[in-house]
Amino acid sequence: MKCESCNKKLATVHLTEIIENEKKERHFCEDCAQNVTNHFPKAPSPSDILTSLINQVSPEIREMSKTTCPVCGISYLEFRSQGRLGCPMDYNVFKKGLLPLIERMHGSSQHVGKVPANAGAEIVKKNELIQLRKELNEAVERENYEKAVELRDRIYELSGNVEDGD
Amino acid sequence: MNFQGMLKMEIKDLSDNTGEWLRGTGKESDIVISSRVRLARNIAGFPFLSRANLKQRREIESLLRKTIIERKIAQDVSYVNLNQATAIDKLFLVERHLISKEHAEGEGERGVAFGKSETVSLMINEEDHLRIQVIRSGFELKKTWDTIDEIDNILGESLNFAFSSRFGFLTACPTNVGTGMRVSVMLHLPALGMTKHIEKVFNAVGKLGLVVRGLYGEGTKVSGDLYQISNQFALGKSEKEILSIIESVIPRITSYERMARKALVMESKDQLEDRIWRSYGMLKAARMITSEEILQLLSQVRMGVNIGLIDDIEMQTLNELFVLTLPAHLQKLEGCELDSAQRNVIRASYVRKRLDGL
Repeated sequence: MKCESCNKKLATVHLTEIIENEKKERHFCEDCAQNVTNHFPKAPSPSDILTSLINQVSPEIREMSKTTCPVCGISYLEFRSQGRLGCPMDYNVFKKGLLPLIERMHGSSQHVGKVPANAGAEIVKKNELIQLRKELNEAVERENYEKAVELRDRIYELSGNVEDGD
Repeated sequence: MNFQGMLKMEIKDLSDNTGEWLRGTGKESDIVISSRVRLARNIAGFPFLSRANLKQRREIESLLRKTIIERKIAQDVSYVNLNQATAIDKLFLVERHLISKEHAEGEGERGVAFGKSETVSLMINEEDHLRIQVIRSGFELKKTWDTIDEIDNILGESLNFAFSSRFGFLTACPTNVGTGMRVSVMLHLPALGMTKHIEKVFNAVGKLGLVVRGLYGEGTKVSGDLYQISNQFALGKSEKEILSIIESVIPRITSYERMARKALVMESKDQLEDRIWRSYGMLKAARMITSEEILQLLSQVRMGVNIGLIDDIEMQTLNELFVLTLPAHLQKLEGCELDSAQRNVIRASYVRKRLDGL
């Protein structure tokens, strides 16, 4: 069957038009179909609706939606739907998304309270940890997972020895 | 240490008594039932619980349990493994405010350590790895803070808490991040409830970033005219600042309640007295009392004692009855499972016994 519009190419798109209870079959080639369907009002897809809703409620989600914590594996979207973070590292990984949330919850985002007893030694480690986390993110971005696992283990080791207590 | 056996062996001892925070002592204890502070802590190097596997959960539980017992956090610490506890035992601990509802309903390796006086309780693997709680009778925030601060310091020497200089103590839910602290003061406000002025209190505390909750914390409904006022923010203010905000609000609410009581006595003395005496009569004579009804009756009688109408009941007895007549306590007392109709009978007879001083 040839396209009813250009009458040249093979009709591959078959539309059923209903006008005042009268059904009409129409057949177009791909190019002509494009022109015809462009005139139809396009209904937004469910994912379009969802995205626009999310953008209205929490604009940071769009930006953060592809971020996943390389340490615990939680994605920003999972966090937003469950309301619970996966590990302490998330505060760094999701910082951009978390900051406005934390500001809204607490009216501030800078801790001024108590510092744990052993934080002195911690602060020394902190710089190294920040560096390691940066490297970890880079490794993940480059899809160098072997390196990422190595870095993750080093981060865990530095941020508190798992075997310490026993 | 295994407390499982102890819960069964000493069932009578425990179910017939309550923690010290129900003694009815301390400042403003006619209105302020208790002052409570809790701190949320997580151990660095472990994921939060939603992402922890079984092995990690077990490691966290064991590390915290051992540290708590070794460092002798409170006198005669008991430990209950909630993963092995029966449903009634768990409910029993919730009723005593030693664990939260979420902790009872949780899954996997988790437990609670508490001191003999039940002033201190440490929940392991609740929403965070560790939730430290100190609860005292009356309006005693300073003392309560001093106790919990010391425990936190001792544990902080042995444990590496997840902490950042920017966000403070890191918690599973960002609502707790920072100090990880929630201060809750439990108030008995029958006159404000009766005169509907309680709404004004809600609005006023809301403006200060505080929130009003029911008897068992988040999401629980208000009953027995008991309200908990707590902070919503945990970051950007020091522990002392958070305490002082609540410290300054409570006396305003208690004096408002006292004014409302005076007004009731002045304006509708007969109705008020009738209501209180009827409640007292019900408690002393009824043969079946539901858990809902008992809270209302106890609340009325408690106010009767406070305004000097009733003088033959100890405040401690009334405070304790709020907890001792709860479902799991009654079942522990009887030593068997009871349906709600059976509980209503046991509840009424237990209250009669306690009020007659038998």
